[in-house]
Amino acid sequence: MSLIKIENVFKIYGDEGCENEVRALDGVSLEIDYGEFVAIIGSSGSGKSTMMNMLGCLDVPTRGEYYLDGIPIRERTERELSDIRSRRIGFIFQGYNLIPSLTVWQNVALPMTYQKVNPGDRYQRAIEALEKVDIASKAENRPTQLSGGQQQRVAIARAIATKSPIIMADEPTGALDSKTGVQVLGILRQLNEEGTTIILITHDNGIAAQAKRVIRVQDGRIISDSAPGDDPFIMSQTKKEVASAVGDGTTPSGALRVENGRAAWAGARAGGLTQ
Amino acid sequence: MTAILMALDSIKEKKGRSFLTMLGIIIGVCAVLVLVAMVTGYNSDITSYYEKLGVNKVEISIDYYLSSRSPDVTDELYEYGNVDMSDIVTGVTPDLSTTGTVIYKDDNLDTTIYLGSDQFSTCNNYTLAKGRDISQADIEGRTKVCLLGTYVAETLFGQKSPVGETVQINGASYTVVGTYYQKDGTAEDSMDDMVVIPYSLNREVLGSSVISSYIVKVDTSNDMDAAIEELTTWFADEIDEYTGEVTLENGNSDLTSSTEETASLSAILGGIAGIALLVGGIGIMNIMLVTVTERTREIGIKKAIGAPRSEIVTQFLVESAILSAMGGIIGILLGFALSLIMGKILYDLILFPSTAITIAGFLFSIAIGIGFGLYPAVKASGLQPVDALRAD
Repeated sequence: MSLIKIENVFKIYGDEGCENEVRALDGVSLEIDYGEFVAIIGSSGSGKSTMMNMLGCLDVPTRGEYYLDGIPIRERTERELSDIRSRRIGFIFQGYNLIPSLTVWQNVALPMTYQKVNPGDRYQRAIEALEKVDIASKAENRPTQLSGGQQQRVAIARAIATKSPIIMADEPTGALDSKTGVQVLGILRQLNEEGTTIILITHDNGIAAQAKRVIRVQDGRIISDSAPGDDPFIMSQTKKEVASAVGDGTTPSGALRVENGRAAWAGARAGGLTQ
Repeated sequence: MTAILMALDSIKEKKGRSFLTMLGIIIGVCAVLVLVAMVTGYNSDITSYYEKLGVNKVEISIDYYLSSRSPDVTDELYEYGNVDMSDIVTGVTPDLSTTGTVIYKDDNLDTTIYLGSDQFSTCNNYTLAKGRDISQADIEGRTKVCLLGTYVAETLFGQKSPVGETVQINGASYTVVGTYYQKDGTAEDSMDDMVVIPYSLNREVLGSSVISSYIVKVDTSNDMDAAIEELTTWFADEIDEYTGEVTLENGNSDLTSSTEETASLSAILGGIAGIALLVGGIGIMNIMLVTVTERTREIGIKKAIGAPRSEIVTQFLVESAILSAMGGIIGILLGFALSLIMGKILYDLILFPSTAITIAGFLFSIAIGIGFGLYPAVKASGLQPVDALRAD
């Protein structure tokens, strides 16, 4: 049994069959197993965010089935869906989505209140999660007093504090500089090594290359599903970047590594390099 | 608990707006409290007026058809009341009065002259302060004696005791045998602005020997109906249908009807103030809807990280309930202050809104907060997380 299985899922905005019909997802089928590190990559408007919303139970498909832990989501009540979001899935958003009126640790502890975690334990667990992402010193601050990278770490702490088995990250490095982005990705990799299933949404080949599996989405359809080493775009880009770096004499701040037979771009977009 | 703290935070964050939102409830609750307190004050003012006047009085008036055929039933009525009805009657007096001038040395005063029996003071709620009351002997002997109300006594005699002094009333000399205690503020035209003389002087003072009105004082209000019934029967025997017509009135009925009037006045004013409260509630609903729109993203985040609908509903309901409860409390404090001030000015009374109205006002304001907060709260909780997250 897979952790996640979607079968022929459609998400259609507007009126189906009419001119205003938009097929954000156009018959997608996909399986994700426990412990995977999956990147869903696509350009803006490709349907990747819709896919994440669907997988994260934030949205419901127009048609098609979604099984989480083998149980169809369609049959879940709203209350059960809240419970799934609370216990099974941790979200990391591009815009951090912290609540400005709460302190850092309260933000991290918030999902635990929905899980009815004993109030005495919430603080302890929030601090533990913050320590893991190295930001516990800011526990009493408000999110607005933190830099973007720090806020994203708080968001990661919030996602991991509940010990959810799945983490969904929607462009987690999108608003961060490349150095901070690398750190955030490092944290995600570490979590994956500890057994958490990571689903990473990105438009960036360099970031997708960090995953163990890359699913490429275009026009609401999956166009490729492979290891990053086998992804045609990542391979060609990597070659191009190396060639360009060697060619103009600059050295990329990241380094091309070969890991288990797969190419991986350890530094996100380095200076002067474009996708 | 968390919801309460969060609501307080959010109210604190927008102090000005929260206060304006509360204003409707503040005014509504304050208005309810003050209006009801004022009606209570008015009511107790009326009640105390009637109580000073004397309660439990049967007022009897006889319309004699011919003055030549008008039997004097005073002695018979006095005896009947004090002997046959002694278990429920405490006093009988003719109810006669005129105006007159009282002169003492160089001072003179226009006042009301009452002509009463020895039970006049009992019937009309006067208490003897100095000297003695009118006696049976004064009545039988038509003795020219008088008792003074405090206003007359103080105006003519100052601090000196009037007992034993002689005054001129409408030109005749009277000996002051007693004075009454103040019962109505010792002012001109008050119930203390009066003189009582024996009713048997009626021919001399009023120019007529016909006595056609009486007061029978009954012990308790419960005995009023029985007393009226018994007296009606008695009068039917004494005064036949060719002689005159007897009317007996329950003196308490004026008080009863005025109490009923103020009760309905209270209901009307309370209702108007209730509308103010309702309008305040709509204000709360309006501002909560704005708050929901403003916090759509926050709602989205919370739903995304697992907040169930009930959590969102609770958050907004608690906030609107706290908002209206705070408004209620401020309104109550204001209502107490205003009631005290207005009670002092209007009725010279220390007036507090009644506990029942205060509690009701407070509960009603919370109920309004919850009632009008429900729609925005449900609206907020019904947002799809993905739509809510998309909001700016």
